[in-house]
Amino acid sequence: MIELRNVSLRYGSREVLKNVSLTIEDRTIKAILGPSGVGKSTIIKLMLGLIKPTSGQVLIDDVDITHLSEVELFPIRQKMGIVFQGNALFDSMTITENMSFFLRENLNLSEDEIRRRVQEQIKFAGLEGYEDSLPDRLSGGMKKRVAIGRALIFHPKMILFDEPTAGLDPVSSKKILDLIARLQREIGLGAVLVTHILSDVFAVADSVAVLYQGEIIFNDAPQKLYESAHPFIASFLANPED
Amino acid sequence: MRELARKYATSVEEWLKGVAFAMQEFLFFSLRAFGKLGAARRYWRDVLDQAYICGVESLPILIVSALSIGSLIVIEVGHQLAEFGAKTMTGRSVALSVVREISPLVAGLMLAARVGARNSSELGAMQISEQIDALRAFGTDPIAKLVVPRLVAAALMFAPLIALCDVLGLVSGAYLAEWDLHLDPGIYWNSVIDILRPMDWVVGFSKPPVFAIGISLISCYNGFATTGGTAGVGRSTIKGIVYSSAFVLITNFYLSKVILDLMRG
Repeated sequence: MIELRNVSLRYGSREVLKNVSLTIEDRTIKAILGPSGVGKSTIIKLMLGLIKPTSGQVLIDDVDITHLSEVELFPIRQKMGIVFQGNALFDSMTITENMSFFLRENLNLSEDEIRRRVQEQIKFAGLEGYEDSLPDRLSGGMKKRVAIGRALIFHPKMILFDEPTAGLDPVSSKKILDLIARLQREIGLGAVLVTHILSDVFAVADSVAVLYQGEIIFNDAPQKLYESAHPFIASFLANPED
Repeated sequence: MRELARKYATSVEEWLKGVAFAMQEFLFFSLRAFGKLGAARRYWRDVLDQAYICGVESLPILIVSALSIGSLIVIEVGHQLAEFGAKTMTGRSVALSVVREISPLVAGLMLAARVGARNSSELGAMQISEQIDALRAFGTDPIAKLVVPRLVAAALMFAPLIALCDVLGLVSGAYLAEWDLHLDPGIYWNSVIDILRPMDWVVGFSKPPVFAIGISLISCYNGFATTGGTAGVGRSTIKGIVYSSAFVLITNFYLSKVILDLMRG
């Protein structure tokens, strides 16, 4: 379970997050919806301990990670995979190397076990035949699937997606959303989905939190969005492409 | 007028705060890099890759620079000496200038441009594409993986590169002295060997490790601190070259001054 308790974050004089509290239960998909540049991606980085909040607590399975060192954070981070908005694949490495790199770095596994785990992810992501390709040779949707495969390599129980369908064509977007739904259905993987695309929320999320001007202004089931009287949500629903 | 002065004072204060903050961050970054030096053993393949990049791939520009150094000193100084009937002193002038000052300085500047630009732009691109965040998120220390191999490789390669520049500078001086001043190579090399003392080699070879550490840390820090998309990578690359070059120019002077003062008692 991931929990943010009264988290605030300030960069100089700019207040990015104001007293944000959120809970994400295991095996559920939580969407964080909001316009671009509002601090949604920052929430994911806080959950991984990549940045520290100015005040408040971030708890992963009831462990406060706010003051943990990088070494102490590693077992916590292993519980969560992350798919970055731009995928963050290493462009000089093949697909297989991208997936196996962190296994070799951090776990004392045999080469057979590494090969087995990588093959498992390649198959799950439907990337058979591309094992030795460099990321540059793949389409946007395929790169995203590689990034998802890499995020799953430690067998996490939660996966964090930063704008998973941004910049993808409708067919690739659907494939990625189907994959996210499959992860929950088939292996019980929870997910945090940061997005500005309303249709993504309705496609896969169990609940949605709306972030606006650094604050959570809505936190409930997606269908309840239509009952909200908040002017920003009303305007967002009326113009979902804005 | 008073309002304008207040605005000016505020912006100067903000700028100074920014500089102080960046200096503090650079200090912490450097300490972390030194603290992780042991990671060079784990990432020895990366050390070799970086040694090839900063060593072997820098050879062409260094060879051209080194050949021009010796030749230019002969053209400028040799002719002056010849006017006073002292062209046999040309080897001495070339030797002292090349070994103590010009060769480390020019090689340092070339490496600041080449290695500094490469580190800043490559790490900057990794920073804006979130690859550095990905390393941290999946449990790899980016300083150990990306900075330490660059630092160690530069520390290993800069001294041999500058030694090569010394040799090529002296050889090019010998050829030009023979061709342009009709100075016998035996006389040239005798005066080179006569004048060079251990102190001169100490001054010359005290510089490569300092340049290697300074250039690597400054350029890697700039890469890690990149923000603002591709324009930010451009800014980081420029900063990497400018700050590294400034570091080379300043430390070259102070190292020569301090070591020569100490050795002369």
